[in-house]
Amino acid sequence: MISAEQLVGEELAEWYSLTPQERWRESAKLWEVYLSLGGSLDPEPDTQSPFFDPSAPSSRPVDGRAGLRVIRRGGV
Amino acid sequence: MGGQACVLYGAAEFSRDTDFAILASQANLSRLRAALAELQAEVIAVPPFELKYLRKGHAIHFRCHASEAAGMRVDVMTKMRGVDTFAKLWPRRSTLLAEDGTSYELMSLPDLVKAKRTQRDKDWPMIRRLVEANFFKARERPKPKQLRFWFLELRTPELLIELAAAHPELCRKLARQRSLLKLAASGEENDLIEALSEEERLEREADREYWMPLKSELEQLRRTRLHDG
Repeated sequence: MISAEQLVGEELAEWYSLTPQERWRESAKLWEVYLSLGGSLDPEPDTQSPFFDPSAPSSRPVDGRAGLRVIRRGGV
Repeated sequence: MGGQACVLYGAAEFSRDTDFAILASQANLSRLRAALAELQAEVIAVPPFELKYLRKGHAIHFRCHASEAAGMRVDVMTKMRGVDTFAKLWPRRSTLLAEDGTSYELMSLPDLVKAKRTQRDKDWPMIRRLVEANFFKARERPKPKQLRFWFLELRTPELLIELAAAHPELCRKLARQRSLLKLAASGEENDLIEALSEEERLEREADREYWMPLKSELEQLRRTRLHDG
């Protein structure tokens, strides 16, 4: 009998073993960090989605700041 | 029914919008309009928020402007390919109570898995994780309906083979519905992997075909919107 750890690794097996409430709490923590960093609430563009509209307007980051941008790029 | 439901059911997902399956009736739409007005939600893409589009299978896309939900995206649907009508979905739903007392009404796991059988790459690993999480949670003492669900929806070859060995009779019976279960029963893992991949390919193709006329309608609506300014 294969264990969850063997099949998907410890991290995901631990996630599977949480209760829905625990997962919700962990997910909320992730949201707090994401939003504090100025993360956008727009879903990632998904060109495979039948709803994908390249002309759809996007919102600004929730904190009103410019969000993450590249200031130096590697050689490739 | 979207990423948040996946998190509650055990998959790891970071979804930035909230998806709702709703009953498409005029009375319910009025209630939804009132709720969206509280959120100061505006429609941000085609189609417009009308019952006829929901009934055809389109999603309506909103962005909220109320301070407590500023920027949040909400998508609303009423009809999904391969998924039962709302009247059948609702009695099968799961209700979860959060620590703050908020209750969440979720599409049942088997229904959510059916809704995820789309043309998109990202939905297929999600299905796998959702069913695996349910399998590991109930593997020790499964109910008949769980066994049936796993046989019909598991996408993990190792677990299908294990399940087939533990429940050969049910496996034989359900192979009439899902032919790749014969490969699980014979323990042919490589062939099973190929069969799962083919099963996914066919479903994705079916979803693309289903959406073809709807996408044409969306493109037409976008053109009309641009033309009308």
